Amino acid sequence: MTELSLQLSKTQSHLLGTPALAILLTLIAYFVAVAIFRKLRQPVWCPPVLLAGLLLAAALSLCSISYPQYQAGAAWLTFLLAPATVALGVPLHQQIHHIRALWKPILVTVPLAATMAVIYALGIAWALGASGEVLASLAPKSVTAPIAIGINQQIGGSVSLMMGGLLVTGVVASLFVDWLVSWLGISDDRLIGLTLGINGHAIGTVRAFEISAQAGAFSSLGMGLTGIFTALVLPFALALLDIL
Amino acid sequence: MPVLRGFLTLLLFLVMGESLRFVFGWPVSGGVIGMLLLTGWLMLSGGAGEALAGASQQLISILILLIMPGVVGVFFLGGRFDGQWTAVVVALVTGTFLSVLTTLLLLRGLVSKRSSENSHD
Repeated sequence: MTELSLQLSKTQSHLLGTPALAILLTLIAYFVAVAIFRKLRQPVWCPPVLLAGLLLAAALSLCSISYPQYQAGAAWLTFLLAPATVALGVPLHQQIHHIRALWKPILVTVPLAATMAVIYALGIAWALGASGEVLASLAPKSVTAPIAIGINQQIGGSVSLMMGGLLVTGVVASLFVDWLVSWLGISDDRLIGLTLGINGHAIGTVRAFEISAQAGAFSSLGMGLTGIFTALVLPFALALLDIL
Repeated sequence: MPVLRGFLTLLLFLVMGESLRFVFGWPVSGGVIGMLLLTGWLMLSGGAGEALAGASQQLISILILLIMPGVVGVFFLGGRFDGQWTAVVVALVTGTFLSVLTTLLLLRGLVSKRSSENSHD
């Protein structure tokens, strides 16, 4: 009997050695968050990703699982983000004739908007006295997570703070797009999708797919182009600033 | 197993993207290169089959689940950035508001009214 209770007390640390517990908790948090989101009639100000993140954080601290332990187990889920990014090519192709019709505005807007997104955020943070490490962590805030992690490795900064920046940016970008679109009288799903993808990366793209398949495809495009442009330009721009 | 067959196609393009990224040292993730390669391939081959379309749709519908493990890290930052949270939050919220506004104004200015009327098939 004592042997059994001894084994029982070791069960949690044994389970943490396998990915099963981390994935189980993530899935539960996901389904509960989606259910709450539907119950609240899908509010833009509280997207499922925010609810799910809060629930998951609460579950982890209740089970006293540290974040690195959880992360190691959840690596299986995180890996699927890469094929999911590839999968965005399918809706992109389905909208290709709409994208062709808009290629000029897209090519002008993406570099300008992506540059301004970095300048606004870093300018404000710098004026309010943020440290160099914080500035570096915030710089890739509008870039989709897998690319942002690559940028982070080049320019430095905290990965966790960067992911937090991505979360806040994605959530408030979806919210602001909703407000500003009705304020400016824009009803074109292509422009709404592009704006969501350029400013709100994957979280904005999830929101765009809630609006329509067309908005989702344009958001995927905006997200991909913003990621590529920022990844290519940001490390050089920051290096140049350092020299000056 | 049509979903698995579609997943196989996605993985093939991912491996191609990742290889290109590695060989040329591009700072862009293999997934994004794979996405562009897949779009190019679909333009050449005339479209996605049922298997690929199905697998893609399923993965896209669980995108939130896949970004959760990264997102939850923000709740475990602790006191490392104490004293800078105001700067962080104001910069993110105000900065994002301004960049969304900039993007919308740019796009509205650049896309003529006539072409936006053709947007619905």
